Amino acid sequence: MFSQGGLSLEQAPPISVVLRFFMTGAIFGVLLGLFLLLDSFHVNLGNNKQALLTHTLSLGVMASFMFGALFQMLPVIAGVVIKMPTKKAMVVHLLFIVGLSLQLYAFWDLSTPFIYFLASAYLGIGLFYAIFLMLKELIQIKDHSSSSKGMIYALLSLSLAIFCGIYMLLSLGGYIDGSLFTQIREIHYSFALFGWIALLIISVSFQVVEMFYVTPKYPLFISNYLTLAIFSLLILKILAIFMGLGTELITSLLSLLFILYAGITLHRLYHRKRPTSDATVWFWRLGMGLFIVSMFITILETFIDISTDIKMLSNISFIGFGLSIIFAMVYKIVPFLTWFHLSNQGYIEAPMMHDVIHPKKAKIHFYIHISMLTILITAIFFDYFILNLLSAILVLISFAWLFYNLVYAIRKYRYTQKYTKRFEW
Amino acid sequence: MIISSYMRNEHRDCDGLFSTAEKSVIDGNFEEAEKQFLLFADDTLKHFKKEEEVLFPTFEEITGNREGPTMVMRHEHEQVRGLIGKMAGAIENRDSDAYLSMAESMMILLQQHNMKEEQMLYAMCDRVIPQDKKEQTLEEMKAI
Repeated sequence: MFSQGGLSLEQAPPISVVLRFFMTGAIFGVLLGLFLLLDSFHVNLGNNKQALLTHTLSLGVMASFMFGALFQMLPVIAGVVIKMPTKKAMVVHLLFIVGLSLQLYAFWDLSTPFIYFLASAYLGIGLFYAIFLMLKELIQIKDHSSSSKGMIYALLSLSLAIFCGIYMLLSLGGYIDGSLFTQIREIHYSFALFGWIALLIISVSFQVVEMFYVTPKYPLFISNYLTLAIFSLLILKILAIFMGLGTELITSLLSLLFILYAGITLHRLYHRKRPTSDATVWFWRLGMGLFIVSMFITILETFIDISTDIKMLSNISFIGFGLSIIFAMVYKIVPFLTWFHLSNQGYIEAPMMHDVIHPKKAKIHFYIHISMLTILITAIFFDYFILNLLSAILVLISFAWLFYNLVYAIRKYRYTQKYTKRFEW
Repeated sequence: MIISSYMRNEHRDCDGLFSTAEKSVIDGNFEEAEKQFLLFADDTLKHFKKEEEVLFPTFEEITGNREGPTMVMRHEHEQVRGLIGKMAGAIENRDSDAYLSMAESMMILLQQHNMKEEQMLYAMCDRVIPQDKKEQTLEEMKAI
């Protein structure tokens, strides 16, 4: 019925496909808060604490939300339809959760090599399967939009990051010699952070910023060429790493492009037509501001020696950027989808967006989020127990609040289906 | 690209009216909001009429495809019409929370709808409709 031209929200997958990933992201966020809480009390978090915390955040939280959003957005903004989305999303989801849990266990207990192998297998198969499902459809698009092109680069970047990740896991497990471990690690995090997270956010923003806030369009030279330029620079970085050349120039150029993008996005938001200034606008503004801070420090780092504290400030700013945009998206996507699916199913009393998650709840999350970032940043410079404890508690509260809001939305959805009248079209 | 350009401008005009109405609701000026919202509703419904009575039939006649993109667009028009009715009720009842809540859904619905039309359907119309027929279609739409 809707097979022509990949045109519709009608092709959007069932809401459960999206929410299963969003709920997982929120739960891993709570887990991250618990880890940080234990850490603040100096409880032993195993032999590779940094990798444990990093992957709980980057895979458990960020990748979960990003895959949920991708499953939802591919039909809407790229006109791509994944057939039997419920079953396929379930397979990806299960492999992902099992693989990630094994990986976190492996980081905690470094003494069981076989766990590294299992983690690589489950995570690798799950993630590559998801990428295959999406890329297979994306590359068949005839008239690419700036978003669909960017999504391809983001997914290719994720593939490279996973490939490197598997190499590292197998090296840690002793299955391969790992002689290229240092180089592969640099490629792993460059593609994961700049290629996957940043490129995906940029690609999606080309459409959603305009769609949600009615802003002027991005300049054509940005929407047409930015994602390609970033991906090309990342590929050049691989060559430079293996040829033993310095990567400072490439990293600086990448950071400059990101700063340019963030500045243009802030400018678009300033000139938006819609007068509302809800929490999601603030999440976008904060996210872009933090992106600029993080990339500015990255450029500085290529020219002068900077302290570990300032490097950490750059990392926290990047995390703040990623989480801010994720929250901005979730607080638009979930209420809209709840209303959209229910009204499409014929429920006349389908709750409106504000009834699903009221803007006040999103604003509360914004205050929690900004407090969390403020304390996390302060704790970099003043290593006091109370600051570490407080930041852990705020991380916990932030994701628990998000979890509560998602559960509330799901309950609204189910209540409407169960107790209100359905009009048959 | 005469079809794309004409129709895109109509989308932008509707966005402007919608945003002014929304701002008036936020400011609590319901008289102005009502005025602006009626203008938005009139222009939007007239735009739909141009598409459904002139542009879509022309596209369908040339491509021989009545169950493709135009059918999806018609369905989305119905969703927008339904919301316009509900939003008018919220303005009449001076219920700003209900209005702003529906305005959120309306904006996302309309923007994604407009994007698809601008990026795909209008571009296809400009490509497949012969020049003289295109000019005639445009004149017919302007006459509505």
